[in-house]
Amino acid sequence: MKDIIKINDLYKTYKNGNIEVKALRGINLTIKEGEFVAIMGQSGSGKSTLMNIIGCLDKPTSGNYELDGKTVVGLSEEMLSYTRNQKIGFVFQAFNLIPRNSALKNVELPMVYAKKPAEYRKERATKLLETVGLGERIDHLPNELSGGQKQRVAIARALANEPPIILADEPTGNLDTAASVEIMELFTKLNKEGRTVIIVTHEDDIAEFTNRIIRFRDGQIIYDGQVDHS
Amino acid sequence: MMLIIESLKLALTSIKMNKLRSFLTMLGMIIGISSVISIVSIGDTMRGVISKEYESFGKNRISIYIYNSDEGYSDVFSFEEIEKIQEAFPDDINYIGPSTGISGEIINKNQKNKCNINGLSPNYQNIQNFKIIYGRNLSENDINAGKKYVLLQNTSSSKLFGTEDGTGKIITVESNGTIEEYLVVGIYENTQSTFQKLFAGNSDTHTLYAPARAFSSEDSAFFNIDLNINDTTDKELFKSRVASLIGRMKNVEPQHVRVYAASDEMSTIDDMMSKLSLAVGAIAAISLIVGGIGIMNIMLVSVTERTREIGIRKALGARTSDILLQFLIESAIISAAGGIIGTILGAGTILLGGLLINIPVVIKPTVILTAVSFSALVGIFFGLYPAKKAASKDPIAALRYE
Ligand SMILES: Nc1ncnc2c1ncn2[C@@H]1O[C@H](COP(=O)(O)OP(=O)(O)OP(=O)(O)O)[C@@H](O)[C@H]1O
Ligand SMILES: [Mg+2]
Repeated sequence: MKDIIKINDLYKTYKNGNIEVKALRGINLTIKEGEFVAIMGQSGSGKSTLMNIIGCLDKPTSGNYELDGKTVVGLSEEMLSYTRNQKIGFVFQAFNLIPRNSALKNVELPMVYAKKPAEYRKERATKLLETVGLGERIDHLPNELSGGQKQRVAIARALANEPPIILADEPTGNLDTAASVEIMELFTKLNKEGRTVIIVTHEDDIAEFTNRIIRFRDGQIIYDGQVDHS
Repeated sequence: MMLIIESLKLALTSIKMNKLRSFLTMLGMIIGISSVISIVSIGDTMRGVISKEYESFGKNRISIYIYNSDEGYSDVFSFEEIEKIQEAFPDDINYIGPSTGISGEIINKNQKNKCNINGLSPNYQNIQNFKIIYGRNLSENDINAGKKYVLLQNTSSSKLFGTEDGTGKIITVESNGTIEEYLVVGIYENTQSTFQKLFAGNSDTHTLYAPARAFSSEDSAFFNIDLNINDTTDKELFKSRVASLIGRMKNVEPQHVRVYAASDEMSTIDDMMSKLSLAVGAIAAISLIVGGIGIMNIMLVSVTERTREIGIRKALGARTSDILLQFLIESAIISAAGGIIGTILGAGTILLGGLLINIPVVIKPTVILTAVSFSALVGIFFGLYPAKKAASKDPIAALRYE
């Protein structure tokens, strides 16, 4: 399998006035296509910072990052938007659905920015919502859905443009155990279908669903190993 | 293009979600545009009415008299002198005659009715086109011979004789103590505009027309000359040439020969109107700026409220320009909607007003088009800053916004 994410000697330093926060300190990481990875570590250890850089929402202070064989560092704003739209599917802890829009409209959104025609968008969004088990709820507004249902809408939305990578920062952080298990089963299924899935989690039993665990401490990787499912 | 359509839909839903707020935001625009539309349309209507008045008076009509304001001295013209003027400008003058007439009373059975008889000279058809419905016009012969024939208005005929067709009847007129009889040869139809009627009111004075020579003799003198020139004649040149001719003829300074054209008055009115338009423009500009600031204010609030939404959109692949466009279209739509409502309100008021006082109102489509597109432009202009603010938000910070 090819390397879909290749990170070399990556640093991220936040400067707030005189205070410098070294969020990432020399990260080297390679993730192959089709992997299912859990990133763990204490609060403030730099997990979200790394996810944002992988997702092209943030830029590293130094170091190199290659996504799907292309260097991301130095890309224009426009190209970064395009990359986010085409290569990345985001799932957030806070769901981040647009409250005024129905489930269907939310799932259509990445396709709007991909300039897909309206009929295609509607058809695909409906299909995706059916896949995540929300075929009956396509016209509901986010506040008419449970947490688990909202997260499933978010996952459907992440899949809209068929991106090779799904990035989920604490996707089960706001869910109870039953809903968490459902969401993790969904991710497992997506991974089995060939997508690269990277999640951030604090919980070991969530990380157990994945195949590889990366542990962070103070902006550095302190552990990187396969999960034994036997 | 597709994104524009999507942005339009988006803007419409967000306006629908916040109906009251959107309406209040539009209010400045509505008031501004509706007042501009009404004031401009009132101006255009007045202009239309007035220029029609002048057209009916005759845009090539000129009136001449002699008056020396320093010495309070004036002079008169004889038929002979009037003819000389005519002969001096055979190619330019359509009609020339003394401005004359008599006023008196028509004695009809035991009643007396006020009347004005206006005197006509040869070629009078060039300035006064009567619509004769019974009988005939005054002929060249009648005019030259000074026959005591009159043209009577159909409404006057009805009042005097109980029938519209009063041809062949005799009218007895008392004026300055003398009594004369006139034969009605033709009945003309009242073709006054609604505006004329409005201002003429229910005047009981009958207006009749007779040959000028019917009530003046060969040695009569007249203060005013009525004159009509050809369309092709250079009006200003003609005015100075006729003034100097009369100056020589009557031995007065040409500047004391007053040559007055209706078009002069029209250009004064045009001037006044354009000044009025300027004032209206200033009011419009102020109201649009106030409306625009209102829109900017609400858009800023909206951008802050929707910070998180902006972050989400960016994470999902929206470019800076997409966000910019979305908010610009939204403010343009709010503004243009305000403009449209304002236009409907303004035009409606004017149409209703016109209907009530029975004046044909003029609402130019260009005015409406300008108003609506200008309001959209105002929306874009004042939406630019909030939209830029929205578009430049950092996606991570925006996603974290509570
Ligand atoms: N915009 C920022 N400005 C300054 N410091 C920041 C900023 N974002 C993150 N940090 C700092 O960088 C460090 C890493 O933050 P990050 O959000 O990556 O941690 P995390 O591992 O995701 O933590 P958590 O498990 O609580 O989500 C923290 O010390 C944080 O305070
Ligand atoms: Mg985090």
